[in-house]
Amino acid sequence: MRTGVFFCQTDDNRNLNIDAIAKYSANLPEVETVQILRLKPLPEINFICHQIKTNNLERVVIAGDIPGYYKPVFTRAMALAGGNADEIRLASFQEHGARGENAMDRAKAIVACATMGVPFPLAAVPGGNPVNHATLIIGAGIAGIQSALEIANAGKQVFLVEQTGTIGGHMAMFDKTFPTLDCAACILTPKMVSVGQHEMIRLLTKSKVVAVSGKPGSYRVKIKQSARYVDVKSCIACNLCTEVCPVKVKSEFDAGISMRKAIYIPFPQAVPNAYLVDEKSCTYILSEGKKCGVCMKKCPKECINLNETDHTIDIEVGNIILATGYELLDVSKIEQYKYGIFPNVLTSIEFERLTNASGTTGGRIVTKTKRFNKKTEKDEWIFSPEGIPPRSVALIHCVGSRNKKYNPYCSRVCCMYSLKFAHLIKEKVPNVTVYEFYIDMRAFGKGYEEFAERIKQEGTFIVRGHSASVEMKDDQMVVRGEDIFNDKLVEFKVDMVVLAVGLIPSPGTEELSRMLGIQRDTDGWFSELDYNGSPTDTDKGGIYVAGMCQAPKDIPDTVAQAAAVAAGVLGSLTSGKGLGHMSSLTLSEIEAKAKTIHTI
Amino acid sequence: MSVRVNPMFIDDLDRFGAEDVQLCYQCGDCSTVCPHADEVYKFPRKSMRLLQMGLEQKLETTLEPWLCYYCGQCSEQCPREADPGETMMSLRRWLISRYDFTGIARQFFKSRITEIIAIISIALLTGAFLLFYGLSGGNIHIYDGDGAFLPSPFIHKFDLSVGGILAVFLVLNAIRMWYFVMIKGTTFAVPWWLYITEIYQLPWHFLTQKRYSECERKREHKFYMPWIIHLGLMLGYVTMLVLVMVFIEQLQAGPEIRWQVHIFGYLATIGLITGTVYFIRSRFKKHYIQYKKSHGTDWVFVVLLFIIVLTGIAQHIFHRTGLYEWANITYVIHLMSVVPWLLRMPFSKWSHLIYRPLAMYLAAIRRDALVRQVTIINSNPVVVK
Ligand SMILES: Cc1cc2nc3c(=O)[nH]c(=O)nc-3n(C[C@H](O)[C@H](O)[C@H](O)COP(=O)(O)OP(=O)(O)OC[C@H]3O[C@@H](n4cnc5c(N)ncnc54)[C@H](O)[C@@H]3O)c2cc1C
Ligand code: HEM
Ligand code: SF4
Ligand code: SF4
Repeated sequence: MRTGVFFCQTDDNRNLNIDAIAKYSANLPEVETVQILRLKPLPEINFICHQIKTNNLERVVIAGDIPGYYKPVFTRAMALAGGNADEIRLASFQEHGARGENAMDRAKAIVACATMGVPFPLAAVPGGNPVNHATLIIGAGIAGIQSALEIANAGKQVFLVEQTGTIGGHMAMFDKTFPTLDCAACILTPKMVSVGQHEMIRLLTKSKVVAVSGKPGSYRVKIKQSARYVDVKSCIACNLCTEVCPVKVKSEFDAGISMRKAIYIPFPQAVPNAYLVDEKSCTYILSEGKKCGVCMKKCPKECINLNETDHTIDIEVGNIILATGYELLDVSKIEQYKYGIFPNVLTSIEFERLTNASGTTGGRIVTKTKRFNKKTEKDEWIFSPEGIPPRSVALIHCVGSRNKKYNPYCSRVCCMYSLKFAHLIKEKVPNVTVYEFYIDMRAFGKGYEEFAERIKQEGTFIVRGHSASVEMKDDQMVVRGEDIFNDKLVEFKVDMVVLAVGLIPSPGTEELSRMLGIQRDTDGWFSELDYNGSPTDTDKGGIYVAGMCQAPKDIPDTVAQAAAVAAGVLGSLTSGKGLGHMSSLTLSEIEAKAKTIHTI
Repeated sequence: MSVRVNPMFIDDLDRFGAEDVQLCYQCGDCSTVCPHADEVYKFPRKSMRLLQMGLEQKLETTLEPWLCYYCGQCSEQCPREADPGETMMSLRRWLISRYDFTGIARQFFKSRITEIIAIISIALLTGAFLLFYGLSGGNIHIYDGDGAFLPSPFIHKFDLSVGGILAVFLVLNAIRMWYFVMIKGTTFAVPWWLYITEIYQLPWHFLTQKRYSECERKREHKFYMPWIIHLGLMLGYVTMLVLVMVFIEQLQAGPEIRWQVHIFGYLATIGLITGTVYFIRSRFKKHYIQYKKSHGTDWVFVVLLFIIVLTGIAQHIFHRTGLYEWANITYVIHLMSVVPWLLRMPFSKWSHLIYRPLAMYLAAIRRDALVRQVTIINSNPVVVK
């Protein structure tokens, strides 16, 4: 088939040498013409039509980062030239992951497959490695938990590594989930319990992966498990140790809005259901055994050992699943919202904890109260169950998201959880006024649009327009913004502001990507192998991504992806053959494979 | 009423400096932080929107670009880096070209070459004319008094005629601005006496540029450097203009310094030199966001003014130190830069000296009229039963 290859690459941020790829494609069989197009703003239809006619082209390949963008032009040109529009093939560098070490070979292979009319993922299957039957999962949020259960339920061994003292991740912190307003704990807790009890799951909390070696199918992994100082098996969670512990620090699980002791349990349903000691604040550990140690004496089961040391564990696994989730952007750097300056400006996750029935105020939505701290001799603002409920609350979307200075991307869950917040506030606080500032309402999922409509009907003032400032006027917080639909500059007095803060990859992401050789995309999330075709695989054979760590997503999508990963893992275990590294495939191998498919 | 959409408008404005308008996603952050936006005049977001929609004819009748004093807060804030501040600046350039019925302004803004060629040709023409005049009757060795190379009465007439041409164009353009804004762009009734009650706005804003000083209102800095500097520059400029147009004969008389006139000249020079140096330096250093991007015409504007000031000073020094030949030569060069500057005025950024106070005046009139209308509506309850 007489083929023409047209390069439509706008900017070359991934070091692809388009000229070299073009030269390569000129030597491919049946390629009649290769052209690098100037694209401002779109290629000329007439020009392309002319090219198709003069070269008698039967097939056209559009190559570049987003070739689909230019396809309509080519389709029209093809139709004008009297050709078959089905023979317009896309060679998408971005979609098929031409990046990293062998980006050039990958890009060439992508073009080669397209000229032969062979889908790239069909031709590029590295593989055939024998697989060890154990699986490592890094991160035990809902993604890690779901994958672990799917695999373990199929009778295969799982090592679940979690850096904190409990599994559950962010979902454990929530009260309700959108759009169904189901109780988050009711969904998550049973899963957590079965992870804790499952005989095929070895749970390693307070642990981190420190080294990985080996090859697909048999990875050797070194895990460092930090001392917990409490024996998980004998601890009965009686709370006596916590009562005597003199040290108070901010609770991570409560997003810092309440205090915990140095010996603590993150939350009553934690798995493993045992206490742990925070070595960064425990007086005994910090003084190297010279001071305190009262908890050890108090424990009726004698299961506290403050002299315990860290240890490492070496394991061998066939597959690795990354499920390290996310964290919030540091909002204090977006100064105009005065987070950290005004006490009642909260982040979304702080609000989740405030409204949670198991939280510090028992789920009452109140503003902070001033209290005198005798130790520091300073006033401080704390949440107390006796606090005054806010008369009005502003919810601000897109704080740091879709913003070129912070996160250029959409965090995907903020619109929905802000709507959820609006509902919860309206439900719990009588006569409250809620203003919700948004730029675009992204209610994309099943039942989401309906949910948004319902919240609007509940009487929340949904303001089309972003707010760019939170200020204090005569001791009253005011939020200013532009209400675009009503064509007004507005200024609302509010007692509380909740910021829908943008999400970023969790802090360990970079280290893991280096350790495992996994690419990250420009926004920092782990890169999947092929955005459409294999969104759960990575460049590296036997290493998968699940949940938020691949890109922002909500719980249903996270769970679906986690289950899909489990299917991939189990597939490799039953067939006995796992995928290899993508980089292990040479250009000629892909070409050869494509040829065999082509001739069929 | 039908509205014509010009889909190419946004590309057209590219040439005036607004390159990133397409990026705007209408969040309104810019209007929120703008210290000058108010209930009646909400910008820059709305202007961005009109631009994106290609509503050229609507934009033509808006005052908002003139109500923006380019503090740059909006651009600092914009999450899309759509640069609304620079867009407002570009709209001002475009509006200047719109008010100008000759179409010359448009050519200048769109092509720097055209502008520079025009300036150079006028400079050369002026130079040739002055040399011809000077050589045919005067003596290059004499600066003032009898037989002077460029006698002051002649220069006086020359100044007045150039000034006259300029004034005609300016007035015509200002009338067009009034027509666009108050006739085409105002759909509600405006009582005529508002034109009288608000008239004080014109001298007030002309002389103080009060609003410029409010640029930091939301950032709460003590004062705003560009405003102070600009005030000095502007006062210096106006003083100089009056001296040149009215007192040129005393100014040029020698050899002893006439303090009652010259003192004003010196003060004005200080304002002018500080201003031009400051603005040129800022455009190099780009320390305020409004100096990050410089359109060709911005450079021409400040640099030409700087040359005028320098040659003026040089000419004065040569005259007072008795180097009359040099004084005459620098005088010719000085006038060669002054004439294009003055003639260019109605077509250039500098015309803001009229448009800005006028805009504040018209804005106040429209605002009063609107408030009146709202009160009329509110005080007229419709009794149904
Ligand atoms: C305020 C807020 C409200 C939300 N509300 C909803 C809702 O109502 N409905 C909904 O569908 N979605 C909601 N979401 C989205 C939801 O939180 C995510 O979809 C989901 O939690 C993603 O789960 P995950 O397991 O991928 O990540 P996470 O929950 O972040 O879990 C990651 C786990 O990995 C661990 N980890 C991280 N790095 C390492 C490492 N290097 N080594 C070992 N362990 C590591 C972490 O400690 C954590 O336990 C909300 C999000 C926010 C911010
Ligand atoms: C003789 C009169 C005037 C002169 C010589 C003058 C000169 C200048 C100069 C040189 C600049 C450019 C600075 C730069 O390069 O950024 C400038 C900008 C500015 N001027 Fe003036 N000016 C005059 C009158 C006025 C008046 C009357 C006002 C307001 C009422 C005004 C408001 C402004 C503003 C807001 C700017 C900055 C924003 C912009 O460039 O549009 N000026 N002026
Ligand atoms: S801040 Fe930027 S994106 Fe938002 S409305 Fe203004 S120009 Fe548009
Ligand atoms: S530059 Fe300043 S005055 Fe102009 S629109 Fe932006 S914020 Fe308002």
